[in-house]
Amino acid sequence: MALQDICNFQSVFEDRLTTEYPAVPHGKKIASSYVSGLPFSNNKSLFHFYIPVAEYLDESPIQFGQISTVQNCSAVSSEDPFLTSSSLPTCLPFASSQSVPLPFPMAHGTTTLAFMFQGGVMAAADTRSSCSGLVACPASQKILPIHSHLVGLTSGTSADCALWKRILARELRLYQLRHGRRLSTSGAAKLLSHMLHPFKGTELCVAATLCGWDGGETGPGSRGETTKNQMTELFYVCSDGTRLRGMLFSVGSGSPYAYSILDQGVHWGLSVDEAKSIAREAVYRATYRDAYSGNCVDMYHITSKGWTRRNREDLKEEYYREKERRKHEKTERRDVTFSD
Amino acid sequence: MAIFDVSGYKKYCELREQIFPAGLTHLVDRTNHYNFGTKTQEFAVPPGVDPSGFLKSCNHDGGVCIEMNHGTTTLAFKFKHGVIVAVDSRASAGNYLASKDANKVIEINSYLLGTMSGSAADCQHWERLLAKECRLYRLRNNHRISVAAASKLLSNMMLGYRGMGLSMGSMICGWDKQGPGLYYVDDNGTRLSGRMFSTGCGNSYAYGVVDSGYREDMTVEEAYELGRRGITHATHRDAYSGGVVNMYHMREDGWIKVCKDDVSELIHRYRKGMF
Repeated sequence: MALQDICNFQSVFEDRLTTEYPAVPHGKKIASSYVSGLPFSNNKSLFHFYIPVAEYLDESPIQFGQISTVQNCSAVSSEDPFLTSSSLPTCLPFASSQSVPLPFPMAHGTTTLAFMFQGGVMAAADTRSSCSGLVACPASQKILPIHSHLVGLTSGTSADCALWKRILARELRLYQLRHGRRLSTSGAAKLLSHMLHPFKGTELCVAATLCGWDGGETGPGSRGETTKNQMTELFYVCSDGTRLRGMLFSVGSGSPYAYSILDQGVHWGLSVDEAKSIAREAVYRATYRDAYSGNCVDMYHITSKGWTRRNREDLKEEYYREKERRKHEKTERRDVTFSD
Repeated sequence: MAIFDVSGYKKYCELREQIFPAGLTHLVDRTNHYNFGTKTQEFAVPPGVDPSGFLKSCNHDGGVCIEMNHGTTTLAFKFKHGVIVAVDSRASAGNYLASKDANKVIEINSYLLGTMSGSAADCQHWERLLAKECRLYRLRNNHRISVAAASKLLSNMMLGYRGMGLSMGSMICGWDKQGPGLYYVDDNGTRLSGRMFSTGCGNSYAYGVVDSGYREDMTVEEAYELGRRGITHATHRDAYSGGVVNMYHMREDGWIKVCKDDVSELIHRYRKGMF
């Protein structure tokens, strides 16, 4: 049928498309592409996500503390593939299959924060990648620039975040080439949210904060906000479908510690230096108390000219400086003795 | 003999049969230093009852509509001029606010304070029991109990019921011969001495603020302000904390109650540009 041809209904599991897609702008294609099983138009290659076979993981002699879905998977017979259920072809089999037991326990420890002020957007994050008690990488990068005026902070599973950031960057670049202008931060957040939607209910865990400057065609004040007269945007997108716009976000296991510092000090009229010091202090306090955050702090500042990155600063120095300060204060105190 | 009665000495087998079901006898001992002369445990757990199992069944799946969740924020820190104790006043039972004006600080005597977080019933009962023991100690020994000893008493009470579903996170603050004292006591039996603690589900928010603003040589007013800020920012972000900030200051000559400020007014003061 011609309709099937156009929608590519049956050709999902083949390696190549037989029909050409009509060139439609990105966002509008989402609805019809569910039927075809492809979330993105104009792609010549399907997404092939590697699905590890269940038996391999069940029979692994090394027990990594697997999550409880291993019971479900062992009940699945070996002939029963993951790509089983739906007649509605999904080339994203995770949406309708059993969860795969993870070979090692994953944990999502981090501290990332971003806030808007009169000088743009300030984004800061720690650099510790943890794996449930092991510091897998003390120098990872959690703030990933997507293009010159958009920066994304990642929290959740690092692998998922890195992959989806790259996918988002690619899609935004394609949009820019097709339409001659950058997609707004709001549009980018919506795009990411829709891309993540098919994975809702699976173990995909991406909590991204997108900070960007939308400049160019639209004049200042076009959004109707006459007081906050600029085009910075801050969005929080989560793999469970949340998409929120706001002025201040902090994500991760260390976020409560950072929130209270930010609540204290952040207001619209901050200078750039004050904003930097508040962001740094917030990350430092979170790393001070949270076991899964630590090592260094990265800071990015997004303005109309794009993002600028501050040198990565090791918080160990700050910790020792504070320790010295406290010791100094304690030696000054003579009268009262403590029962420590 | 009369001396046995006064000191609370009992034959080992008597104690065992009286209090504990067979098998748990190792928990009972004769009067010793750790019991401080208390004759018996205050509760006899009837045989066949499994308190922790019962508590686990008290959730939504079991058909029970009142949740025994407990949210709060309490904080206390030592500084040059004593100890500051600040608590919020919201009592919640799951999503229901049972009280917006709960009292989470128990005034044990004029030199000892105890804070409560966790299950309100457990905290109130055990800390009142602690108050009773402190008073008895004072009467028997003619000097006030030290903060270390009071916290040890509470910790031992918790250990006696370990694993049975108690839920209590408390800070014992006081001023004794060694100066200001601050101990954190837990329902697991944890007992820690320290310079600053915060308990409850809003504790992480309070930690950020107090860590950032703490200096040992603060003035008294600065310390009051820090305590207020800690609780206010925690109540702002944590759904289970709120109400008013009850703040006490433990000084060398006893504690004073500093203030009882509504957090919704305080947050306007502290959070510039929010509204």
